[in-house]
Amino acid sequence: MPFREINSKMIEAQIVPGQRVYSQRGAMLAYRGEVSFTPDLTGGQGGVMGMIGRRVANEQTPLMTVEGQGTVMFGHGGHHIQVINLQGDTLYVEADRLLAFDGTLQQGTMFMGSQGGVMGMVRGQVTGQGLFTTTLKGHGAVAVMAHGGVIELPITPNRPVHVDPQAYVAHHGDVRNKLSTALGWRDMVGRGSGEAFQLELSGHGAVYVQASEEKL
Amino acid sequence: MNYGPAPSYGPGPGGGPGPGFGGPGGPGGPTVLDPYALPSDDNVNPYTFCVELKGSQWFLQKGKMIAYYGQIDFNGIGHGRFDRLLRTSFHSPLHASDWVVAEGSGKMLLADRAFDVNSYDLDEGNLTIRSGNLLAYQPSLALKQSIVPGFLTLIGTGKFVAASNGPVVFMEPPLRVDPQALVGWADCPSPCHHYDHGYMQGVMGGLRQLTGIGGASGEEHQFEFVGAGTVLLQSTELLMAEQPVGQVQAAAGVPGHGQGPLGQQLGVPRMPGQLGDLQRRFGL
Amino acid sequence: MLAVDLSGDAVKAKNGSMVAYDGQMAFKKMSGGGEGLRGMVTRRLTGEQMTVMEVQGHGTCYFADRASEINLVNLHGEKLYVESSNLLCTDAGLRTGTTFTGLRGGATGNGLFTTTVEGTGQAAIMSDGPAVVLRVSAQYPLSVDPGAYIAHTGNLQQHFQSGVNFRTLIGEGSGEAFQIRFEGEGLVYVQPSERNTVGGDV
Repeated sequence: MPFREINSKMIEAQIVPGQRVYSQRGAMLAYRGEVSFTPDLTGGQGGVMGMIGRRVANEQTPLMTVEGQGTVMFGHGGHHIQVINLQGDTLYVEADRLLAFDGTLQQGTMFMGSQGGVMGMVRGQVTGQGLFTTTLKGHGAVAVMAHGGVIELPITPNRPVHVDPQAYVAHHGDVRNKLSTALGWRDMVGRGSGEAFQLELSGHGAVYVQASEEKL
Repeated sequence: MNYGPAPSYGPGPGGGPGPGFGGPGGPGGPTVLDPYALPSDDNVNPYTFCVELKGSQWFLQKGKMIAYYGQIDFNGIGHGRFDRLLRTSFHSPLHASDWVVAEGSGKMLLADRAFDVNSYDLDEGNLTIRSGNLLAYQPSLALKQSIVPGFLTLIGTGKFVAASNGPVVFMEPPLRVDPQALVGWADCPSPCHHYDHGYMQGVMGGLRQLTGIGGASGEEHQFEFVGAGTVLLQSTELLMAEQPVGQVQAAAGVPGHGQGPLGQQLGVPRMPGQLGDLQRRFGL
Repeated sequence: MLAVDLSGDAVKAKNGSMVAYDGQMAFKKMSGGGEGLRGMVTRRLTGEQMTVMEVQGHGTCYFADRASEINLVNLHGEKLYVESSNLLCTDAGLRTGTTFTGLRGGATGNGLFTTTVEGTGQAAIMSDGPAVVLRVSAQYPLSVDPGAYIAHTGNLQQHFQSGVNFRTLIGEGSGEAFQIRFEGEGLVYVQPSERNTVGGDV
């Protein structure tokens, strides 16, 4: 169920019976037809375990289930919206950036620390976004919010991408991330060039970067 | 070294360089505009509108003029010699100090906090718009206060300029709209309130109401539009600052004089746990 | 967002404005604007505290700052005047300095000094929404709201314009009470937004 982009800040979803869409609560702008919105304390799938998982993971973005038949417009807070179509791979994204996503996608949380070891832990501290990230897997569309425009940078095995942790939005594919420091970082300790830490992404996939260093 | 726009960079915050902003990022750099190159009563880019004055007048919301060429005077609308103009085109008990009259010859640029701006032509028509979104209008239009609090109605023939957070999306009724995403409506009957019973009731709804967890989000309350006309939506729920439209005289049969529950209901986000009228409505 | 392809050369950029890069990049913090100690001292005094880093390497570097719109300015020997907070990135070969601007600074609350960029190359300036570039010539002077002004080039005289045609109404101004008037020959960059100004909600 793809999302149609009406403009850079608004998307439209067709809701048909039997297919549900999850969206961030409060993100509905307008709708037509018989559509019901059910708040979901457990954050979508997963029931109690999912909820506990979320509590621990501090990924408690309130979601709601959108069902019925009709057309729904989504948007939130004037943020830019990037629609990412997943074809079987896994998207890693902070839960509060999720605007809406296909109900068929498999949700999970992932401990970012396990990937980057100690550096991964630091990453959580740098971004202040916790060590846990939401994962969405399967075939379907995800609408992600960002502050300012978004660019997609491809990651290929011989071309790793370095991203400012503050500007990182999401990534998908078979990607390893670690926190790195650029050459010459010693010169900058204590003087704060602002670029002391970077998130290094290598492997195969793509990373989404926003044109801003502000969080949502 | 090579500078250029980033690849696959979508429309810049709110939209790409617009008409008249030719050759973005090209070797020649941006278009340089002078009084001849500036459009007349049209957009320079999605965020800037150019008004041409030829001895004529425009009403402007205070502080929305960013630059001008030529001889243009700006006067507070309370000034005496505009009394006649005010009688014909300015009917709401607006705070007169929020508006100025631009008069003279030249071209002036209007913009509002980098929001999208658009002009609208009315031909013997009427359009109701959120007060904070209206930037400027021709005196051939009459501005009146809508009976929906916080909204203004423009009636007649002429052009006006309005800002929106993200481009304006035009929709046709039937439609239910989150109150915060509503910019205005034209020709169709005024909206009514719609409450989503499914959202309000049930275990989760009740829990939400009792504990206040979750709060109000717009999914339980919409404006419902029916009939023929056009509904204007802005693509976000971030509200433009509301302009005071003045108090209506309290009188029997006049809604929205700020004393009944009706007056508080609009535009004011309900605090978590604060149920008030909803609670009574559903007998909770 | 601004993409800069580097092949061994360098750019000067506002501190912390790099959002992503690929390839090999080195970052070096520069003292005060690139003119060494003296430049830094000048900046301290003038209140134009621009912290700059130099980025050098091979690959593509992406710059952005608070979702601002980015405008490229090609300089061919002329001088660009810009508030330091609006300067994102310049060719390393361009000279940066400070200049006294007097009145306008007083109006915007950005200090009485403005950054100048001089030489041949490109500079990237930021604005809230895409900037409109307006030409000023002898017969077409331009008036600009102080909050919407971001930069100018050329030989322009600026003075504060106020009060002439403005009448106050019950103690409140007409809103458009203060403008900067530009006269001469040059280009003025204006943004579709107004910063908060000391002069009130102009």
